[in-house]
Amino acid sequence: MKQRWRKFSLLALLIVWISVAYYGYQQVNGESTTLTTITLGYQKADPFDIARQRGVFAKKMKAKGYKIVWKQFQDGAAELQALKSGSIDYARLGDTPGIVNLAAGADFVYVAAGSTKSNGSGVLVKKTSSIKSIKDLKGKRVAYTKGTSSNYLLLSALKKAGMKSSDITWVNLDNSAASVAFNKGKVDAWATWDPMTSTAELTQDATLLVTGNNGISNNRDYVLSTSTFASNNKEVSSLLIEYLQDDMEWANQYHAKLIKMLSKSLNLSTKVVTRMVERRTYAMTAMNSTTIKEEQNVADLFYEEGLIKKKVDVKSAVADVGDK
Amino acid sequence: MDNTATIKATEATLKPHHKYFSFNIHRVLPWVIPVLLIAAWQGASSLGILASSTLPSPLAVLQDGIKLTQNGTLPKNISISLYRATMGFLIGGSLGFILGFLNGISRFSRELFDSSIQMFRNIPHLSLIPLVIIALGIGEGAKISLVAVGVLFPVYINTYHGIRSVDPDLIEMGKSYGLNKRELFSKIIFPGALPTILMGVRYALGVMWTTLIVAETIASDSGIGYMSTNAEDFMDMETIICCIIIYALLGKLSDVIAKNIEKIVLSWRDAKGVNVRD
Repeated sequence: MKQRWRKFSLLALLIVWISVAYYGYQQVNGESTTLTTITLGYQKADPFDIARQRGVFAKKMKAKGYKIVWKQFQDGAAELQALKSGSIDYARLGDTPGIVNLAAGADFVYVAAGSTKSNGSGVLVKKTSSIKSIKDLKGKRVAYTKGTSSNYLLLSALKKAGMKSSDITWVNLDNSAASVAFNKGKVDAWATWDPMTSTAELTQDATLLVTGNNGISNNRDYVLSTSTFASNNKEVSSLLIEYLQDDMEWANQYHAKLIKMLSKSLNLSTKVVTRMVERRTYAMTAMNSTTIKEEQNVADLFYEEGLIKKKVDVKSAVADVGDK
Repeated sequence: MDNTATIKATEATLKPHHKYFSFNIHRVLPWVIPVLLIAAWQGASSLGILASSTLPSPLAVLQDGIKLTQNGTLPKNISISLYRATMGFLIGGSLGFILGFLNGISRFSRELFDSSIQMFRNIPHLSLIPLVIIALGIGEGAKISLVAVGVLFPVYINTYHGIRSVDPDLIEMGKSYGLNKRELFSKIIFPGALPTILMGVRYALGVMWTTLIVAETIASDSGIGYMSTNAEDFMDMETIICCIIIYALLGKLSDVIAKNIEKIVLSWRDAKGVNVRD
């Protein structure tokens, strides 16, 4: 009798399990269409994410015969792996992962560049800290994330101040670990970017010792694709730039809506997001001589410091997006 | 461990059921530590010993859970995770069983596969992610196959070990009773190996959830693993702890299911003097 009851309840439990799993199956397998699918890799709260949440971009692309699929990634490195394997067609990321991958022989091209974010990227210290200038960092422990824009920013800032990279102790941590280490005083400074900087400024009693301004690092967004995909899909690239620029103009114009949208997707207070949004502008344009030069600087400095083993010529890795 | 559980259960069935208000220590004991932990945690939070920014109180976590359930995030992500876990478990479990079974009965297959499997087994799942992305892309296939890889090994090892360690005397006895190969397997080897196999299944169910959290960091925008890494990025402690608790509960739930399957399938172990059932 007990055995029968056990069998019955087990069966019921399994049926619930399977139907919930089936519901999940339906959630992840959307409907299929005859449109050409373009898959875009993005990270939270980046220009692609804004376009995704606003929804206008996908509609416009649909009108032109393209179905847009969005894939979220934790970091640029993973995004570029996916790009390499053809799982995504375009990737939006920061200024350094592309260089690292190009040096490793990846067949990537730059499609578009965003606007500068130099106000929101920099090196954080505690307000109470004795470190008052970049020179004071000598012998101190500085958190950064290897291969990201914070790596470049820190190198560039040291170089501008006439210091060597060996003058500081480099502590490689990802952002969530660095945030805790910085808060607990395990590191003396932390090189990072928005929204981590604005969060730290508003909640961890931190201040920016140095920002990306004055030619240290503009820390732009870049859109990358593979050279084969880009040369076969010039039209898609040029539409992408055109429609994203519309979204970026919207973002510049409607701050209140943007802040609400971003604070929801980042799960951050509107205060933090407001600070981040107010100190930057949004744009998405084809590559030009300025942005190529900036990326070349990243490549050169990384090569000088031995972070990449091969010289990279950014100019030869720019996508032709046709005449617009 | 399982033996004691089943023996206890049979004792309980043998007892008369008239003592409704009797205090059954065996029912209460498993909950003592979780309840004490949560009570101490809530106490420390209420008294202000724990800062709410470092570790939110259980009540705050519960409220966060309710909020996430109401806006549909939690049910959606749980169902997606459950789908991935189930598919991965079915694929990995069957592969592990087939390989374990083959290697258990055939020397040729054992020599061919076993050392490769042992090598593959010790590779951390996290380090497989780049390979999985290159081979399978970033879709559901990548996530499910990572879970399958995780589940495969415990099932494999236990099936293999279970079949190899069936008492040779019993097999000898079966042979002298004139059983053919198929009967030998279905009446002696398989039932003899079943307790070990089911132990592997229970262990695999645990691995299934731990691998899933790794798998759900690949280009994911859904699932419990995504929810918790997402929360981790922005130090959203309520959601992080909420996800941890959901993992614990899902793990417990799958264990309860496995344990009950064990009790049903292995009921012949408790029934004294009854013949092996088919």
